[in-house]
Amino acid sequence: MANKVAERIKIVMSAVFEIPVKQIKDDSSPDTIDTWDSLKHMNMVVALEEEFQIEFTDDEINKMLNYSSIKNNTSGKI
Amino acid sequence: MIELKYSKILQENKKLGNNLTSSSYAVRVSSNIIVHQIKEILEYLLRAEGINANVAFGDYDNIVQDSQRYKDANTVIIFWELCNIIDGLQYKIELLNDDERDKILEKIKTEINLVLKNLEKASLGLINKFTSLAFSYSSMRKNCLDELASQLNNYLEENIPSSVKLVDLEKVIANVGVSNSLDLRYYYSSKALYTIDFFKFYAEYVKPFIMSANGKAKKALIFDCDNTLWKGILGEDGFDNIEMSASTKDGAIFAEIQSMTLSLNGQGILIGLCSKNNPGDVDEVLASHPDMQLRNEHITINKSNWSNKVTNLKKIAKELNIGLDSLVFVDDSSFEVNLIKEHLPEVTVLQVPKRLYKYPNMLRENLGHFYNLSFTSEDRKKIEMYKQQVKRETVKKEFTDIEDYLSSLDLKMTIFENEKSIIPRMSQMSQKTNQFNLTTKRYTESDIRKFIDNPNSDVYAFSLADKLGDSGVTGLSIVTTNGSTGTAEIDTLLVSCRVIGRKIEYAFLDYVLRKTKEIGIDEIKAKYITTRKNEQVKEFYDKYSFELINESDTLRNYTLDLSQYDANRIDYIEVVNGK
Repeated sequence: MANKVAERIKIVMSAVFEIPVKQIKDDSSPDTIDTWDSLKHMNMVVALEEEFQIEFTDDEINKMLNYSSIKNNTSGKI
Repeated sequence: MIELKYSKILQENKKLGNNLTSSSYAVRVSSNIIVHQIKEILEYLLRAEGINANVAFGDYDNIVQDSQRYKDANTVIIFWELCNIIDGLQYKIELLNDDERDKILEKIKTEINLVLKNLEKASLGLINKFTSLAFSYSSMRKNCLDELASQLNNYLEENIPSSVKLVDLEKVIANVGVSNSLDLRYYYSSKALYTIDFFKFYAEYVKPFIMSANGKAKKALIFDCDNTLWKGILGEDGFDNIEMSASTKDGAIFAEIQSMTLSLNGQGILIGLCSKNNPGDVDEVLASHPDMQLRNEHITINKSNWSNKVTNLKKIAKELNIGLDSLVFVDDSSFEVNLIKEHLPEVTVLQVPKRLYKYPNMLRENLGHFYNLSFTSEDRKKIEMYKQQVKRETVKKEFTDIEDYLSSLDLKMTIFENEKSIIPRMSQMSQKTNQFNLTTKRYTESDIRKFIDNPNSDVYAFSLADKLGDSGVTGLSIVTTNGSTGTAEIDTLLVSCRVIGRKIEYAFLDYVLRKTKEIGIDEIKAKYITTRKNEQVKEFYDKYSFELINESDTLRNYTLDLSQYDANRIDYIEVVNGK
């Protein structure tokens, strides 16, 4: 289950940032992914919300700036 | 509504973008809020229809200057958000005095004037109507925001040029629901207001405008009969027991479907039947069933027989001389629906819903397929002309010599030169003609007007009459000339499919070439640009003794020495000048 969620998050991020899934690591962040700007961040948030039928708060959105944090925030809501 | 999730749309859109080779279709979006998420959603919807859309955005909150820069875009979309006309208008407006409110109103009106003036020259402009719904949906009285929105909308409606269409944002919001349309988290932090669901609906809603501008509006609506136009099975239940009377529960639904179909027919949409039935039985219903609203006069083509529906739909497209992708087919049977989807994916197939009460609104939701940017009086006449076309096919069979047959039609061609009164029709032909179209360039009304006004280009059109009726304006050619070099080029040559096959194209081109020669041109160039649909005219210029200079998969370049050229003289066509 947990792995499946991780995989789905990576697929969403891969689609949004237009990079291969295997390029997404625990420490992937706007510093390591060139296409990760503020608009793409917004796209990622709404895509994850749609994928998992969840909703993030402002604070969570601002903290979701690397893959680990995204995974923790997402898994915590499912 | 698009069923794919946003992340899937992003992936699919990228794939479609990599596979499409057609030239890029530029959509430019100008807005005073952040709407960037519309990009891939709209691109995906259009690319799935073969339009290689490329959506890009103007500068944030710079609509007037953007509209100036975007004159060459194929489509310009203006996303003017009422509440961001000035920052925080939704709460500031109630505290303003009348004078201050008037100033805002006047400022926006001035900006609207400039934008409309710029968009008048664009190929297609789409402007969202202003809406206050986002912040006033729960207001019990008409508040200042509502008032401002209606004043601006009235102003838009009074001043809109024909090249610009209004998008009713409130209908989009109504489809999604206010709370599902808005993401206020991002409004306060990033000036983004709308959700992905909103953009999915919005893109679906504006798609028909863009489809029509690309000549991809549907032309014909074809019905199965049993449980599609009436309740029951004619061959089993019998003439007296099929139901379509407005006074019975299920009958009322079919009565509504038939009324809607009549109304579409009145707008120039062709109606046909494709049904497994004894032909005589269906004819009897059409002729004399008391509850039937659709009669023979409304049905352009009727394939009621026992052949399979794939064959019948192919025949329908062929006999009407339109593409399979111009057809919408309605049937109640899953078997037939899947058969057509599998074998004729170009045909748009609708299935009568299991819950019958959903049927009329299902049809309404699909009326966008038939949306036509420039609705003209020709559209009404068109029905009659397609019927004559089917009749001519029948007459044709009785003649062994095609020339005899053509002579017997008493063809009369009337030619119009730079005639402004038919600009809407000429623009429409350039947008809708696919098969006999040498260059398939799509022009809006303002594009055509520019050609007419320019002394270095001439616009020719013709209408055709024969003893069976008048086909109206059915052909267009645009020639650009260069007096100093004595050369010209045929920019556009198209003939509506409902009149081809009578050599009128030769008579028309003869006239155009003679006129071009008369103004001192010695050499005329011409092009055939390959599309998915114009294979039949690939060698048109060869037959006309143009010289092929070079060719590739997508383009053939020709030239003709006018001093050597000899007219074809199609003597059974009488050619007259319209003005």
